[in-house]
Amino acid sequence: MANLALDHLTKEFGGGSDRIVAVDDVSLDIDDGEFLVLVGPSGCGKSTTLRMIAGLETTTDGEIRLGERRINDREAKNRDIAMVFQSYALYPHMTVRENMSFGLEESTDLGDDEINQRVEDAATTMGIDDLIDRRPGELSGGQQQRVALGRSIVRDPSVFLLDEPLSNLDAKLRSQMRTELQRIQEDLGVTTVYVTHDQTEAMTMGDRIAILDGGQLQQVGTPLECYHEPANQFVAGFIGEPSMNFFETTVEDGRLVGVARSVRESQGDSRSPSEAQSASEDATEQSSGERSDPRVGDGFEYPLAEETQESIDDTDRVTLGVRPEDIELVDAAESDHDFRTVVDVVEPVGSGNNIYLAFEGHEEAASELDMEESRTFVATIGGLQRVEAGQPAIARFPEDAIHLFDTETGDALRNRKLDDVETVEPQL
Amino acid sequence: MTAADAGTADSGAREASDGFDPWRIGLYAALVGLLLFYLAPIETGLVTSLKTDGAVVETLPYVPPGLDGFTLASWATALDALVRGMVNSLLFTIPATILCAIFGSTAAYGLTLVDWRGQIGVLVLFIAGIFIPYQAVIVPISRFWSNYVDLVGLLSPLWGLPVLKPHWGTLLELMITHVAYGIPIATLLFRSHYQTISTEMLEAARLDGASVTKIYYRIVLPLSRPMFAVVLIFQFTQIWNEFLFSLTLVSSASSPAASVTLILSGIGEAQSGLDFPLRMAAALIAAIPTILVYVLFTDEFAEGVRT
Repeated sequence: MANLALDHLTKEFGGGSDRIVAVDDVSLDIDDGEFLVLVGPSGCGKSTTLRMIAGLETTTDGEIRLGERRINDREAKNRDIAMVFQSYALYPHMTVRENMSFGLEESTDLGDDEINQRVEDAATTMGIDDLIDRRPGELSGGQQQRVALGRSIVRDPSVFLLDEPLSNLDAKLRSQMRTELQRIQEDLGVTTVYVTHDQTEAMTMGDRIAILDGGQLQQVGTPLECYHEPANQFVAGFIGEPSMNFFETTVEDGRLVGVARSVRESQGDSRSPSEAQSASEDATEQSSGERSDPRVGDGFEYPLAEETQESIDDTDRVTLGVRPEDIELVDAAESDHDFRTVVDVVEPVGSGNNIYLAFEGHEEAASELDMEESRTFVATIGGLQRVEAGQPAIARFPEDAIHLFDTETGDALRNRKLDDVETVEPQL
Repeated sequence: MTAADAGTADSGAREASDGFDPWRIGLYAALVGLLLFYLAPIETGLVTSLKTDGAVVETLPYVPPGLDGFTLASWATALDALVRGMVNSLLFTIPATILCAIFGSTAAYGLTLVDWRGQIGVLVLFIAGIFIPYQAVIVPISRFWSNYVDLVGLLSPLWGLPVLKPHWGTLLELMITHVAYGIPIATLLFRSHYQTISTEMLEAARLDGASVTKIYYRIVLPLSRPMFAVVLIFQFTQIWNEFLFSLTLVSSASSPAASVTLILSGIGEAQSGLDFPLRMAAALIAAIPTILVYVLFTDEFAEGVRT
């Protein structure tokens, strides 16, 4: 058992003009026994980081320390690290028992009896003791996954690396293995680095999560810190499903003024189904100017309280972010944080409804196909609340729930109030 | 045509096949024709080898001999003449085949699954080796073995030992020549197989603590079995049937080191004309070992060709 430290870790591929920086100055401290999830979109450098820790990839710059000892130059086999691969990487010509004992035979001088004992214990832990004499080809995907995990835990390594281990499983099995992995990790108390592109896995599994984008570390924190106090707009958009709604605005006299449309973050998962429909011509944007209500005309206005204005300082281009679950549907527009909208699409998910709202006067353009911008924004409401497409609704963005980001840099200027979070998440 | 249509057409064809289906009859006729086309020469050879001199002249080549025209004498003579050459050929073919496969496999492993600088350059040399024609190396090889490395002379102290004979030196030369000549193609065959092996699996083995050699012995080698069958069959056939190296290094069918192909080339030749039954019998006998090798490795061969 040991703590793992990454110190200004950098990896460059190629040289000269086609040099690619895959991992850019990443520093991370992973405590002994901690479960850290590295998460980010594909190509963000998370797998490369993991492979550098494992010793499968050399480092260009920076240091990897395990228990205060530098391991950069140690060979993979001498690092006391076990890794589970996305493809499981089982040896197809060996039985489960042989697969699991291979590492012990090669890296230790234990006797056959001892090896057998440990293999059987690990197999029991993983619930594969009755498959021990079969070959990988005879096993289902889930069973192979267990063998791959068993093969790693049997060696009792200091660090456990997992590279998208659940992505080849079906959804049901994946959520089941998620819980099981957490239980096993807790029982073994091994320092674990888990790589995934799935923010749900990151949120549910990690003690802490580290979000990478473009090779750079965006934020490290507990799942709820990253959720409620994102360091920047990327993290805010990446963590959470459906994604946070963003509105690009400019600051004018203590008000946020913008166009009545939300901005898409790079992650396109929560795209409204209506976008799949054929695009209609953008004819309404200018024609709605004659409306009297200032907040539903061609502009979008959001007055800020004194305290909030201070956090913005003198940034003039600000992106307003609000999580779908923080948007309230109210009966009447009472405050200047309420907006008249029309329900565009309703997605029932059982426990709740994801509803896609378009600002009133912009509903015809809501179905416009555009990856960057959407005329709709998402709100989640209780599953028993009846909402139908086409009906008008008044959406409230409570001021203590909004996030503000610098549009230029993406940095968070103000995050939602956390004393509120404590009431939302009493377990913390 | 929809799936349903195809289904009815299919079952219609099946019903018709109970009676007369012209398409099917045509197919079988074509197949039988091809079968005859390929088997006729072999049948002719076999039939000829069993005929007396008289029957060869009197009957058509592919017609089996009558009772009075039947004899096994040619087979006995051929076997008698060839047995010496077959022993010699087996003595260098078997080790050469096995060594080719082993060297080819290890070379391909080193060039494909182990990462080191400059391996492409080395690989190019291997590939170039495939394209060197036999004719181009005959003279250098014979000069090499006779002027520079005269194995028969160098190993002369060994020939006093029991079992070992001086002409084995020549067989050793043949064996080494064949190994050297066979390695490039064997390497290429193994390389194509190794490129399909998952790199993640080899990385897992590295993390499991296995060294480069251990990964070869415990993972890559067991997974290369089908390709070994392909290379063994291919190389055995190549080396067994090879004539040019034997001719240049052994030179005479009367030499004690004569290979089966060398003896075969001159068998049944006389002033009075060619002894066809004897030549046919000898050719069939000489082909038996390669046929046996194919039969022995059929399953692995099929699997290896598939991958």
